[in-house]
Amino acid sequence: MTPVKERVIRISFNADTHASLQWNFRPQQTEIYVVPGETALAFYRAKNPTNKPIIGISTYNVVPFDAGQYFNKIQCFCFEEQRLNPHEEVDMPVFFYIDPEFDEDPRMARVDTITLSYTFFEAKEGQKLPLPGYSYN
Amino acid sequence: MSTAMNFGTKSFKPRAPDKGSFPLDHFGECKAFKETFMKCLRDNHFDNSLCRLQSKDYLECRMDNQLMAKEPLAKLGYKDLEDPPPSQADGDPKP
Repeated sequence: MTPVKERVIRISFNADTHASLQWNFRPQQTEIYVVPGETALAFYRAKNPTNKPIIGISTYNVVPFDAGQYFNKIQCFCFEEQRLNPHEEVDMPVFFYIDPEFDEDPRMARVDTITLSYTFFEAKEGQKLPLPGYSYN
Repeated sequence: MSTAMNFGTKSFKPRAPDKGSFPLDHFGECKAFKETFMKCLRDNHFDNSLCRLQSKDYLECRMDNQLMAKEPLAKLGYKDLEDPPPSQADGDPKP
């Protein structure tokens, strides 16, 4: 994979929690500048300010919608339950790259910002999230 | 009421990460490397290309502490940061 060094893209970061999740969850950088084909690292931070352990699970979204197909996560913290003990704070990395083919797609010619949003939910029994690999009907 | 736009057909489909989920660094074993990387970003207008050495160091820390499956750095996009073979490193005169 060869970086497309002349095509700089701004990645901006959002963090949300579902109303019932008592974590503080936020990105550690508001934006990072990347080029397609080059792996990049970014961080979120989550803190459980309560006196009881809480298990969260997250999903993510990418806008613009059509850019999402080029957003490749190598590793992150999503789709698996994450447990934070009382008053625990952890760094949560996202390791990703934008596919070099992004630069060749004419529909992406005017896209210079891609926004990555993570949302954490409290993991509860019986709750179904729109996670990859799950079927829900 | 009907509309020509069909909001239901296209929805973002999240994909699971290629290598799964990072275990949480509960003990902050790699926190120092993260801080070095974040400082590099702040010092360089958040340009990822200028902080790749620091991000590599962070991921190596994770691998050394069983917080990430060990992989060759070249497979993680760091091929250009790997040490050159000894035959290339010496005897290369610079003008």
